[in-house]
Amino acid sequence: MSLSRRDFTRAALAGTGLAATGLSTLGLLTPAQAAERLLVVQWGANWIEVSKQILAEFQKTNDTQVAWELHSGGSAAVVAKIKATWPRTQYNVLSVWDPVFRAMIAEDWLLPIDESIVTNLKTIPDQYIQKNAKGEKMTVPLSTAGAFWGYRDDLLPGGFSSLEDLLKPEFKGKLCVPYPINLTGLLIVSAAIQRGGNERNPEPGWDFIKELASKGQIGEICTSNSEYINAMATGRYSVGFWNNGGWFATAKNFPVKLKNRMPDNKGFLYNEGFCVLKGSPAKAAFEFANFFAEPKMNEIYNMPLGSGPTQPSAKANPMIADWYYTPEELPKYAYFADFAYLSSVMNEWNARWEREIVPLVRRG
Amino acid sequence: MRRPSLSTALLWPALLVMVPLLLGPLLLLAHESLKPFVGGRIGGDESGALTLQNYAQIADPQYVRYFLDTFRVGLLATAFALVLGFPVAHFIVRRAGPTMRRLMVGGLVGTLFLSIIVRVYAIAMTFGPHGPLSDFSRLFGISASSPDGAELMVVLGLLNSTLPLVALTLIGTLQNINPRLEDAALSLGAPRWKTFFQITVAMSLPGILSAAIIAYAFCISNLVVPMLVGRGFIVFVSNLIYFRFSEVANFPSGAALSMVMMVISVALFYGLLSLVRSHWQEAGK
Repeated sequence: MSLSRRDFTRAALAGTGLAATGLSTLGLLTPAQAAERLLVVQWGANWIEVSKQILAEFQKTNDTQVAWELHSGGSAAVVAKIKATWPRTQYNVLSVWDPVFRAMIAEDWLLPIDESIVTNLKTIPDQYIQKNAKGEKMTVPLSTAGAFWGYRDDLLPGGFSSLEDLLKPEFKGKLCVPYPINLTGLLIVSAAIQRGGNERNPEPGWDFIKELASKGQIGEICTSNSEYINAMATGRYSVGFWNNGGWFATAKNFPVKLKNRMPDNKGFLYNEGFCVLKGSPAKAAFEFANFFAEPKMNEIYNMPLGSGPTQPSAKANPMIADWYYTPEELPKYAYFADFAYLSSVMNEWNARWEREIVPLVRRG
Repeated sequence: MRRPSLSTALLWPALLVMVPLLLGPLLLLAHESLKPFVGGRIGGDESGALTLQNYAQIADPQYVRYFLDTFRVGLLATAFALVLGFPVAHFIVRRAGPTMRRLMVGGLVGTLFLSIIVRVYAIAMTFGPHGPLSDFSRLFGISASSPDGAELMVVLGLLNSTLPLVALTLIGTLQNINPRLEDAALSLGAPRWKTFFQITVAMSLPGILSAAIIAYAFCISNLVVPMLVGRGFIVFVSNLIYFRFSEVANFPSGAALSMVMMVISVALFYGLLSLVRSHWQEAGK
């Protein structure tokens, strides 16, 4: 029996159709689900672990499907990916922090938070929430986080009392600091505060960092949380300036002390949380964000991150009890940087670091 | 009779893929490099007049240093890969038995399947300040924790990838050299070292050049190795480009750096090629 090419194609198509009909009847092949799908960008390490744990709870009562993508490098990297495809971005919900919120609000990429869905926003202090020029709430803050100086107590018993001490010979090669674009230049601001400046008057800070670099005090310049955590774990460096997440991961394995109450310097506070991009399935995205902002979930979320919950009724991890400040301490020790301004000068500061600091550390 | 129409027709699919995927983005990149940038915004300012400002900033002597560092460290890693890779390839082709040859070629190919991140971290853990071979850097008179130690880590990280590439490329080259030519030189009284350099190495020069170009291109365009083991001291042009695109969203400056890097790299390779053609081919006549 001969089979022409046309007969074969017909038979194949008919067979495929019959198979699909059969599978459909048996319920093995179903039409597209009604459930919404969200692509959420989150940090790696403990952030993604705890987020998956909370998502499992969320999906017990909500059929929204969630796919995760991890930040590569700093969270600002995701804005470049969005810009390249905007407005046809694949992302829906982003977990970022204040400077990145500001950049995206400036680009008008975010949906104002629908408080009829995100009902848990009501109990989050208003000063934590980023707003647009019209005063609309644009973010769902989940964590109060910070960037601090600190040290490994096992390597440096007694630590240091002032940043000026870090210029002493015994600290040569012992400092692990962020590239200035990480933490949006807070390293420079901290150094500036030390010498009487601030983010708008950073020259004293640049001078201080140049002193550190030219004396060979800087042992490593990190560009991500995992790099910092690894660097501090090696024992090569005893002193660092990083966010609470990096310190918390280090503190799990080594004795760590934060220098967040120095008389001549400050600790930096900011918020991390969710925002929703325009073009996303809004109801599903807001329901997702609202679930994470619920007080009990907010407590679970922050417990392994070393950050403070944003819901006043949620408890903080006892390990970080003295990492943050009491209301009375806030004016004395805390600094709330102007991230909108810092974002506007970050390009200039990055170029300046490349021109003025890297050649100095390169010489050692 | 030749049928040029057929070969031309076969060229079209590749051209149709290459033009939109390579040339198109390159032109867009060139256009982006001419846009002004406003701090705090994302990407170039679409409404601003085109400018050469992004190129002027790269002309700063401090940025020339980054280009020189990239080319110098890349050259070091390539030179080491050639010096170490040639004997490996020579052993595989001329000395190794069939089993050993299969094992060695399999090993070289196998390393290429290993993620570069794994390889680089393995280097850092082995040769870093707290690794079992941390004293290795002292052979070169440098401390593992010094900036030069970071440079050594970058060279080793690059070498880890380029050595198998170079060795595998040279295996093909050496296989095409008739061993009887070496035998003839030896039987005519040439010392072994002279035979090796004047017959084997000289006849391998085109292959050595190809291997060097592949290795060098890999080195100078590398982002991961200096980022992971350069400790922020060794910064390649690729890292500068990455920071601009992904961290400060200054696409125009990143695009300008990319264009300059591409032009210099292409000029360098064509310069090298013409140098080799004019000198070595003349010498071979």
